[in-house]
Amino acid sequence: MSKNQDDLDLVRRLAGMLNEAGLSEIEYEVDNRRIRVSRTITPIAAPVVLPGAAVAAGPGTIAAPAAAADDNNHPGAVKSPMVGTAYMSPEPGKPAFVAVGDKVAAGQTLLIIEAMKTFNPIKATKAGTVTKVVVENAQPVEFGQVLMVVE
Amino acid sequence: MFDKVLIANRGEIALRIHRACHEMGIQTVAIHSTADNDAMHVRLADESVCIGPPPAKDSYLNIPAILSAATITGADAIHPGYGFLSENARFAELVEEHGFTFIGPTPEHIRMMGDKIVAKQTAAKLGLPLVPGSPGPVDNLDEVKALGKEIGYPVLIKAVAGGGGRGMKVIDSEGQAEEAFNLARQEATAAFGNGSVYVEKYLGKPRHIEIQILADTHGNVVHLGERDCSLQRRHQKVLEETPSPALNREMRERIGGLAADAIRTMGYRGVGTLEFLFQDGEFYFIEMNTRLQVEHPITEAITGIDLVREQIRVATGGTLGLTQAAIKFAGHAIECRINAEHPETFVPSPGRITDYHPPGGLGVRVDSALYAGYRMPPYYDSLVAKLIVAGTNRNECLMRLRRALEEYVVGGIDTTIPLHQRLIAQPDFVNGDYNIHWLERLVGLKK
Repeated sequence: MSKNQDDLDLVRRLAGMLNEAGLSEIEYEVDNRRIRVSRTITPIAAPVVLPGAAVAAGPGTIAAPAAAADDNNHPGAVKSPMVGTAYMSPEPGKPAFVAVGDKVAAGQTLLIIEAMKTFNPIKATKAGTVTKVVVENAQPVEFGQVLMVVE
Repeated sequence: MFDKVLIANRGEIALRIHRACHEMGIQTVAIHSTADNDAMHVRLADESVCIGPPPAKDSYLNIPAILSAATITGADAIHPGYGFLSENARFAELVEEHGFTFIGPTPEHIRMMGDKIVAKQTAAKLGLPLVPGSPGPVDNLDEVKALGKEIGYPVLIKAVAGGGGRGMKVIDSEGQAEEAFNLARQEATAAFGNGSVYVEKYLGKPRHIEIQILADTHGNVVHLGERDCSLQRRHQKVLEETPSPALNREMRERIGGLAADAIRTMGYRGVGTLEFLFQDGEFYFIEMNTRLQVEHPITEAITGIDLVREQIRVATGGTLGLTQAAIKFAGHAIECRINAEHPETFVPSPGRITDYHPPGGLGVRVDSALYAGYRMPPYYDSLVAKLIVAGTNRNECLMRLRRALEEYVVGGIDTTIPLHQRLIAQPDFVNGDYNIHWLERLVGLKK
């Protein structure tokens, strides 16, 4: 999608690779764009991987590509019906429509997508709890993109 | 020069446009429906935006979605390809109203040539010869019958808002007029939203010969020769070649010059094609296409000119770097349109491509978005590849085409490759002796 989105996705993937391979630094260059991702590994005995243990800290919390695919197939995924820019609050400066943990009713506005100067409210199709907010304020979105998860 | 161009199309032409852009250092944005998530041009483009579900009306014809995609990606210009919105004057207007450059002619010229009656009237004013026919739309059966008597049967009844070979019916005699007239109007309303029809003489054995023109915004116009597109099935072109076996240099220069003069007088910009019927040494204007055409690669093969690059340059206000005298026509080129259809029954054959091996070698070009593993969606037209072969003369071209077709492997779907192999083996074709009814007679659609 947009360049910024590509960069963020790339950083996430590189950070994921750092963890998986136990590396401290990865540098990736293509054309004249270069991204470097690094962390400090504290020298300890072989790290014990506990089932369900949180992944070791890398730069930024990672949504690995596998997690994104899960969102896509999640029955509560709210997907964008159009192309445009997502806004999470009714006006700049006002609080967001919903936050993670909120209970929402069917028909309640979750966010707005602006396209060609018209603002289109995106509403919850059924009542539930917002478990994930995937897009950020002013983020460009495409048709079918997961915006939120409401369970 | 543009930094970023949004490609408002799909399939092989979207890939074609992407290639021209990347060769010019221009970034590309591919818009696509969910059915085209894995399309080759989507994978290759710098950015992609999914704009809707599979149906064309919700995606490739969805003007707000396309304009939104251009806005969020910061595109400078939009290339409409062919088909879809490429000849939609309202789309061209909206693109410009929203601050993007439409890579194509002005909305006024699109509108003018989109109405087939206005197009003919304009052509007549510009000094182009016309097919005898009704001066305007025909409103009732009596008019049709009167014209039939005046012009002489058989006549053709055509949709004013049609084009591209659609919305036409033949009337062999007065007895058939009523049914044809009513059917034609109903079909025109259903297909084009406009039931207006007009009448033209039906020529018995014409060739379809079209002239490619190219114009900039500084009054410079050139013609790039002709294409003979007489091999058609149900008014859809199957194979095209240039030069036409039926024209000599003098005829080419004459009709090319007339076409270029008309375009110059119009003040047209970009690429365009003037389509004529040619019979007994005479040309008859039928319509003008205000866009890039499917068969443009054969013109590129014999002139060495990249037409998509020229479109983009003209759209930035650039000057044509060419004079008519500088344009040389070298050799011969043929294009085979390969469809995902059974080569004899023409039943469409979407599906997953298993093996894919396109032919190669000197003078062989394949414009296609196919790849091994690609799942061909059933929602769009069946053109899957264009095989373009060039040679120093027509014979060499035919030999090379026969060789290229025998190498071409497309596994998993039916294609019309065997049909092309059959066509080019026919003595009539080898002799260049064919007209627009020839192919249908060969495959048994006509007597």
